Amino acid sequence: MIAVIGLVVGVVAGLLLQPTVPLELQPYLPIAVVAALDALFGGLRAMLDGIFDDRVFLTSFLSNVVVAALIVFLGDQLGVGTQLSTAVVVVLGIRIFSNAASIRRHLFKA
Amino acid sequence: MTSRHADEAGAVQVDRRPDASMTLLTEFYRRPLDPGYALAAERRAAGHAPPRRRLGIVGLVVLAVLLGLGTAAATAALRQPVGQVSEARRVLESQITERGDEAAELQQQALALSDEIATMQSSVLGSADEPLQSALTAGAVEAGSLAATGPGLRVVLTDAKSDHPDAEDPDNRVQDIDLQVLVNGLWEAGAEAIAINGQRLTSMTAIRSAGSAVLVDLVALSSPYTVEAIGDSVQMQTELARSSTGQLLATLRATYGIGVDMSSERRLALPGAGLTALRSASVPEDSRLPVPASDAPSGPVSSGAAGVAGSAGRAGGGGQ
Repeated sequence: MIAVIGLVVGVVAGLLLQPTVPLELQPYLPIAVVAALDALFGGLRAMLDGIFDDRVFLTSFLSNVVVAALIVFLGDQLGVGTQLSTAVVVVLGIRIFSNAASIRRHLFKA
Repeated sequence: MTSRHADEAGAVQVDRRPDASMTLLTEFYRRPLDPGYALAAERRAAGHAPPRRRLGIVGLVVLAVLLGLGTAAATAALRQPVGQVSEARRVLESQITERGDEAAELQQQALALSDEIATMQSSVLGSADEPLQSALTAGAVEAGSLAATGPGLRVVLTDAKSDHPDAEDPDNRVQDIDLQVLVNGLWEAGAEAIAINGQRLTSMTAIRSAGSAVLVDLVALSSPYTVEAIGDSVQMQTELARSSTGQLLATLRATYGIGVDMSSERRLALPGAGLTALRSASVPEDSRLPVPASDAPSGPVSSGAAGVAGSAGRAGGGGQ
C-alpha cells in the first residue's frame, strides 16, 4: 500500500510543480504513459485479486516504462520506430483491456 | 539433445491446439496479469518472503514518488503543447481575418475618397476651364489614379504545367522579372494604361516577388497573370514583337513552357489605383498646361502636380 501512497504523492507533486520534460525524452512519452497505464491496471487487478505486492508493482511499473521507451528508441535507431511503437501499443493495449475486463468482473460481478 | 527428443515424442502424442500459431496473443489475453504478483503471493504463503528492511521500504517509497512524478510530468507534457499550439493558431487566424477585413475596408474607403476628390475637383474647376479639365483628366488617367477604358492588348502569362507540383522548378513559373520586362516593353510600345490582374500600374507600383508569389503593388498575385494595356493594339503588338520583350516572350514559351497568350481587345476596363501620395512636386518648365491667372489658387498647383505625375508615369513606368 505504501507504493500506492508514494505514487499518489508523486502525481500530486508532478501536477503542482509542473516539471519540464527534457526535449530528448519527448518521443518516448506516449509509449511510457501507455506502459504506466498497463502497470496501474495490473496493480489494481492484483489488489482486487488479493495478491498485491508493493515491490512487484513498482518493479513492473519501472521495467514496463523503461522497456517500452527502450523499444521505441531501438526502433528509431533501426528505422522501424513507428512500427515498433505500434507493436508495443497493441500488446499493452490488449493487456490493459483484459485487465480492465477482469477488474470489471471483480467490481460488478458481471 | 534430450529435451529435443522429448519434445518430438510429446508432439506426436499431444494434439496441436487449433490456435497454436496465435500463442503469443492467447498468452497475453489469458494471462494479462504480471506473473510476478502470483509468484510473490505464493512465496508469502509459503512463508519465505524476504524480510522487509527499512532501507528497502525507503527505496520503494522514493521509487514510487519518482514514478508518479514522472508519469504526471509526462502526461502534462503530452497534453500541454497541443492546447497551446492550437490556441496560438486560432489567435493568429482571427488576427489575419481581422486585419484582412480592415485592409479591405480601408481600401474601399480610399477608393471612395479618391472618387470624391475627383468629383470635387471637377466641380471646382467647373465647365469654365475646359482645356485644364481635360488635361487634368488625361494626366490622372496617365498616372493611373483614374479608371480607364478603351481598346487595347491583353497578354496572359501562365505558369508551365508541372507533373510534380511539390518539386516545382522556379524557372518554370512566371517570375517578377518576366512581368517587369513585359510591362516595360508595353510602356515602350505605346501603352497608355496597364493593369496586371486588375492591379493598375502607376509610377509608384513595384513588381516584386516574395517567395513564390509575385507582388504587384504589394498585392500577391498568382498565375495566370493577365496584363492588360490600353492603347493601339496593332502598334503595340508589332513594337513588342520587334523589341527584346518579344524575344523574351518567345524564350519563355519555347524553353520553359510558360503559356503566353496575346489577344487584342475591343474594350478593356482598367480600375483606377486611387490617388498616390504626392511627396514632392514642381512646375514643369515647358508647362503644356495653361495657367489661368484668374482661377482659384488651387488650380495651378493641382494641375502642375498632375502633369508631373503623368510624365513620371511614363518614365517611372519604365522602371516599374
